Amino acid sequence: MDRKEFYKRLWVDESLAEVTGYNPYYLSVNSGLNERLLVNGCKMIDLASNNYLGLATDTRVKQAAIEAVQKYGVSLCGTPIATGYIDLFQRLEEELSSFVGLERTVILPSCYQANNGLFSCLAGSEDLIVVDRLVHSSLIQGIKAAGCKIRPFLHNNLNHLEGILQRSSSYRQVFVVTESVFSTEGSLAPFKEIVELCEKYGAMPIIDDSHGIGVLGKSGQGILEEQKIEGYKGIYTASLGKALANSGGMISGEKRVIDFLKYYCSHLVYSTALSPAVLAGISAVLDIIRVEFAGIKHRLNSYQRQIHESLSEGGFEVAACEAPINSIETGSKEVTFILAQKLYDKGILSTPFIEPSVPLNQGRVRLIAGAGLSQGTVNEAVAIIKRIGAS
Amino acid sequence: MNIEDRVLNSVKGVLDKRPEVTLDSRLLEDLLVDSLDKLMILSAIEDEFGLEIEEKFADVHTVKDIVVKLKARGY
Repeated sequence: MDRKEFYKRLWVDESLAEVTGYNPYYLSVNSGLNERLLVNGCKMIDLASNNYLGLATDTRVKQAAIEAVQKYGVSLCGTPIATGYIDLFQRLEEELSSFVGLERTVILPSCYQANNGLFSCLAGSEDLIVVDRLVHSSLIQGIKAAGCKIRPFLHNNLNHLEGILQRSSSYRQVFVVTESVFSTEGSLAPFKEIVELCEKYGAMPIIDDSHGIGVLGKSGQGILEEQKIEGYKGIYTASLGKALANSGGMISGEKRVIDFLKYYCSHLVYSTALSPAVLAGISAVLDIIRVEFAGIKHRLNSYQRQIHESLSEGGFEVAACEAPINSIETGSKEVTFILAQKLYDKGILSTPFIEPSVPLNQGRVRLIAGAGLSQGTVNEAVAIIKRIGAS
Repeated sequence: MNIEDRVLNSVKGVLDKRPEVTLDSRLLEDLLVDSLDKLMILSAIEDEFGLEIEEKFADVHTVKDIVVKLKARGY
């Protein structure tokens, strides 16, 4: 045994950043998500964050968080099963259940933890998990931890999924896992049809609606509302740190499932509960969505279209997005970084995706123009994108 | 259909957006197969040949290697 060898193994490959002269990770951000984001001391247009509705710096949300801190302090210093289950926590569980139209909800410190903890709690070696090829890493890691048989199906391919379900009757339980919005490319899952297939074969659907909650549906209630899925009997997870502009994750479903998770999901039971400020902040965001969603969504859609048009005009290969996301297909990781750098140099912060976040050589640069931006800022972004395209 | 064609069809069926798949294609270098792709290939082979594959096929580098493995199992 040699500790020097141990440290030698902890090597970060930074060759891509060296070749391209740009490292998009762990940038130093010196402000909140304001009209301009301060990055390394420079004012940038934020087309990178998931602040879809622009509520992360909303005065009412901040005020709700301040009042919660004044009443409860900054932390309850305990897990939900111990001292962390304050009335704010309980009320938010009920509000979230009502918002997405499901029976019960439990709130975790992140959706990564929700997705990581869910499968090892509910599935075992006698079960099969069938999962869309392109789901988020949190789901893949969670599924692998369950130790059961895994069968990926081709992205959004119902025929492939049904073929697998037809051949899987010998398992104790089959779970079908997908996401509502595939955030690197902006495609939506045909979830209504997936739920119907699950009904047909007795499988349990599980959907991660992280990029759908607060964005999809007539009232922002997410994928179930968007695709008019009524009486959903499956499991639902979502992030509270994207459109809902705070942090945390949720798992919703039938009372029996959620009650079980509350006692047996280690990721919940052994994690300090979300802080009062965050709980109050999410609740305030839900209040705003209930009243103002139509106007906010209109802006979000309009900005998405404007950015999409500028990308097309600039000659970029843009995926046909069904969500308020613009995804530029860049291919190799080098080209992906170089485009992100060009945008950065001209004042736009974007999100580059390279393997393993996406399949090899299917790199992308994602742009999300949140509803909190002004039309003037979006105009600037459009002009920059066109200039980069022309060059 | 011979075993080679059955394997090729199985691999092609789950590797969309890939260059041409041949018996000599290397999974990693030519077909850019990652761990999930590998699971999909194994599943497709299981379905095609009606067998259960428990091993991870760690020593499989080319499409032909899959054929060799299956032949060793008596297919």
